[in-house]
Amino acid sequence: MNDFVERRIALRWHAPRRAYDVLIIGGGGHGLATAYYLADRHGITNVAVIEAGYIGSGNSGRNTTIIRANYGIPEAVRFYQHSLELYQTLEEELDCRFMHETKGIMWLAHTETQMRAEGARSLLNLACGAETVMITPLEAKELCPQLDLSGGGRYPVLGASYHPAAATARHDRVVWGYAQGAMRHGVHVAQHTMVTGLQRHGTRVTGVETTSGPISAGVVLSAAGGRVSTIAAHAGVRLPIRTHPLQAFVTNSYDFPFPGIVSDTELLCYVSQTERGQMLVGAEFDAQPSYSQRSSFSFLQSCAAKVTRLLPFMRDLRILRQWTGICDISADFSPIMGQTGVDGFLVTTGWGTWGFKAIPAGGEQMAQLIATGRTPALLEPFRLDRFASDHTMADPGSTGTH
Amino acid sequence: MTEASRIVVDGRPMPFHPDDSVALAVLRAGEHPHHGGTICLAGDCGNCIAEVDGVAYVRTCQTPCRPGLVMHRHPAVGAPPLHPAVALDTTTPPPARRISVQRSRAEVVVVGAGESGTAAASAAQRQGRSVTLLDGGQGMEVVAIYAGPTVIVRTPGGMAHIQAEEVIVATGAAELHPVCPGNALVGLVTANAAGQLHAAGVDLGVAVAIGSPPEGVPCTPVSGRLRRFEGHARVTAVVTVDDDGGERTTPCDTVILGLGRAPRDVLSRMAEELPVTVVGPAAASFPLPPAPDAGTVCPCSRVDVDDLASVWDRGFQELELVKRATLAGTGTCQGSVCLPHLRAFIAERSGQTPEPFTARPASRQITLAEAAAGVHVDAFRRTALHDEHVSLGARMDRFGGWWRPWHYGDHVAEYWAVREGVSLGDVSTLGKILVSGPDAVESLERLYPVRVADIRSGRSRYALLLDEGGHLIDDGMILRETETRFALTFTSAGAAHAEMWLRDWIDMWGLRVHVLDRTMSLAAVNVTGPLAGRLLERVGLPAPPRFLQHVHAEIAGVPCHVMRLSFTGEVSFELHHDVHRSVELWRALLANGSDLGIVPHGLQALQGLRLEKGHVIVGMDTELDSTPRRLGMDWAVQMDKAEFVGRSALARTAGLPDQRRLVGLTMPGIAPTEGSPIWSDREVVGHVSSSFTSPLLGHAVMLGWLKRAPFPDTVTVDGRAAAVVRPPFYDPEGSRARA
Repeated sequence: MNDFVERRIALRWHAPRRAYDVLIIGGGGHGLATAYYLADRHGITNVAVIEAGYIGSGNSGRNTTIIRANYGIPEAVRFYQHSLELYQTLEEELDCRFMHETKGIMWLAHTETQMRAEGARSLLNLACGAETVMITPLEAKELCPQLDLSGGGRYPVLGASYHPAAATARHDRVVWGYAQGAMRHGVHVAQHTMVTGLQRHGTRVTGVETTSGPISAGVVLSAAGGRVSTIAAHAGVRLPIRTHPLQAFVTNSYDFPFPGIVSDTELLCYVSQTERGQMLVGAEFDAQPSYSQRSSFSFLQSCAAKVTRLLPFMRDLRILRQWTGICDISADFSPIMGQTGVDGFLVTTGWGTWGFKAIPAGGEQMAQLIATGRTPALLEPFRLDRFASDHTMADPGSTGTH
Repeated sequence: MTEASRIVVDGRPMPFHPDDSVALAVLRAGEHPHHGGTICLAGDCGNCIAEVDGVAYVRTCQTPCRPGLVMHRHPAVGAPPLHPAVALDTTTPPPARRISVQRSRAEVVVVGAGESGTAAASAAQRQGRSVTLLDGGQGMEVVAIYAGPTVIVRTPGGMAHIQAEEVIVATGAAELHPVCPGNALVGLVTANAAGQLHAAGVDLGVAVAIGSPPEGVPCTPVSGRLRRFEGHARVTAVVTVDDDGGERTTPCDTVILGLGRAPRDVLSRMAEELPVTVVGPAAASFPLPPAPDAGTVCPCSRVDVDDLASVWDRGFQELELVKRATLAGTGTCQGSVCLPHLRAFIAERSGQTPEPFTARPASRQITLAEAAAGVHVDAFRRTALHDEHVSLGARMDRFGGWWRPWHYGDHVAEYWAVREGVSLGDVSTLGKILVSGPDAVESLERLYPVRVADIRSGRSRYALLLDEGGHLIDDGMILRETETRFALTFTSAGAAHAEMWLRDWIDMWGLRVHVLDRTMSLAAVNVTGPLAGRLLERVGLPAPPRFLQHVHAEIAGVPCHVMRLSFTGEVSFELHHDVHRSVELWRALLANGSDLGIVPHGLQALQGLRLEKGHVIVGMDTELDSTPRRLGMDWAVQMDKAEFVGRSALARTAGLPDQRRLVGLTMPGIAPTEGSPIWSDREVVGHVSSSFTSPLLGHAVMLGWLKRAPFPDTVTVDGRAAAVVRPPFYDPEGSRARA
């Protein structure tokens, strides 16, 4: 056996019934967390989560597992800080171990412009309750001794913003932990059940058509990733979303300490170490929108070239696996949560490349919205109708690295 | 035996024969390259991986011996370490190994030079197609097949990137490994490996064979079903079960396993939907092995059947969930060994045989250095004056994709030279696009929110560039040269996008316009300061153009397009000229202005100068959703124009309540840090986008965003009171620029 076999979590499956109070499309982190909080916080247990594949098969199981709150607008900083704090006690709450480890993230800057942007980020974060400070190159080197401060002679490090509360966690287990928590409260989770349409009665959405038959529901929430636009289209809702591939790769496991997360604001890549000692490398999403999960060599090439400039010791590490997720990017790079203007149909989407870190807060707040019918203050800025009312939330902090 | 024919294994010299792989040499010495587990000598499993010449996770059976090669075994438990000097080096990075890349094209790439591969290659050749045959036996390791299809190969000489029209995967089939107690012992070999070892003269000792025995290898066949291997570290006996249930123990030194095969299909599964053909055993279907009931299933990640059963019983009841919950199939061999057994395990419990899990790169591993070989990611442009700046002591910084002078040692002196004397700035990085043709006016009227038709020849106008949402994406000047010919300027960072933007729209509208991007062919020097006109008189321009006029003239003998405008707030002439004449022009200007106190200014001074004038820098003071209204620049939008990009969005949002404004802020004393939050009633209501301690005004000036209406008159920044004012802060009438 290895040290990472899941030994605690137990999952119980159900064939879906014909009707529920709340039906959630998408058995990823957001869908399952919403189901859990509905049941646990609000006593709403007649809930089903339906998943087209297996739970966590979308971006919940493909992301680079970074939890941070160092965003660029106050609304986002507050939301992600809340999520980051929920994560800190979540293992106890969900009775599972997902290897949550606070390790700090540094965002390296190589030019005056980047230094200015990182300085602005740290001041804004501090003002909004998230700790981010500027550090010198030598402090960066102390935190990450493997760093080449000359950036391979081309990208000298001028400084960095440092967000000590950043953490990583094992992504699959967060999904399973929420699934287990929801199932213990009697929530039904059905895998391999794909939505083929939405039931409508008048202007209201009253259920879903699935590959396992129709299911009616008082409220339908789409927590699907990747193809959310097609689901919303069934309700006549047009989402300002484009879907882009996002790639990452991981090396083999090695036994050496790499305690923090290193992110680069110019090279747009980031590196952390998994619990198994693998080096995990990610970058910006692909510029070309697509639903393809095919990986590209150009990504591997450029990412490897960039990251070895910063961390030359990685040159001789071997690449184990490369993969691709697809992420929904909204027109203002911020998530979209809440009512859609169609009664009985809600969405939580636009999770781009920042969905994993938002799972606890997103689930908790969406559950509160469903249970009370009122949009909680943390979600208010992220309503869908912000696009119509011209209150967009363009976040320079989310368009960088993740 | 000489040193020349030895490798070094864990610090000990070890002889090898010609053509030995590293694994074979180690086995020849009676040792195991790892710490146990079935040896296949076919590159399929991870049971022979070791660190070779500083690179861990190398399949030693695929690595030819060469004198002096250094192999270290991985630790028996846990991951291999990095050599401390490498992992924690704080001064010098390891020397970069030079890795060559060969790029080639082939009509057909055949992966695998076995029976089916050679047959497919010959058939393709007979059709007259060019064929590249990749022979694993010759060390050609196929890393992955990407879209294209592009085949990435690790070769003994470096990397090969092959563009193919078709890929034929003829990778054959892999032998099954045994899954039972004791299957991590030393002394277990597949039938094929046994044949190779025997042929190489390796002594197998007392060898017994389970299943189909290899031809020509002396061994004793043992009947019955495999139950377990016995021994401590090395196998000493194999236990089988007869049909009647009786166990039989057969003592031995080596167990040869002919348990069947599974298609070697990682590449073909990776390449689904690509023009890839699979031939031979790689395309065949083989029966799954019996469902395992004990022993190690996944040697790479050390997953036992117990682990599979444990997660299965807790609801992880499909292949992907079992894989993720145990990590089976996520190690070096990426499931090549364990996948058939995992599928058999699940088939037995669920009654359904699952499809294999997704195959992804890398099928054969490469290092990051091998992946990065031949890549150039450091493309930062230099202006024609780069060396001039460096020789003048400039600190160069990257901005907008260019190297630019940040300062020349004293940015305050540079500031005063602009405000009181004359100074040069290298603005070669500006986007410079020529638009001409019968529909030039029409195209620009549709692209820009300002009126273009009434710009007279020889005149210019400042313009915003908006996207369909009415958000600012760039700004610059429109300079009319003739009825049908305009020079446009864009920001340094925005130029590349602006060119695409223009071409896209003009194509879509089907207008008769030529777009010529001259960003790289034209250099530009900004001559600015109250004495700028006097300097230009000296170098050949007795009657400089007036504000917003532009002329073509020779300056110090260099043909220039002279544009009179102002970003600094002082009299400014931008001299656009051929990049090849740039150094000559720059030097002449400096020489002729020496008695005027001329010095060049860098970006740092420029950012302060323009801030005093309240000019925004796109991307610094603007955000992704900044509309002209939010920027206080409605004056630059003619809503009475019939149509322009962004107009409908601006018309729609004009009536909506808005909560954002870019405003000017002033306060006594030193400027707060850029990015500082703006507070009002103890709440963050915005942030400072630019700040500057004005040497001339003697106080701080800022641009900042207020994002909560109603907008207050005074706010708190950096713990101090700041007044919200209307920029510009300096020379609000603009008399100095027009002087």
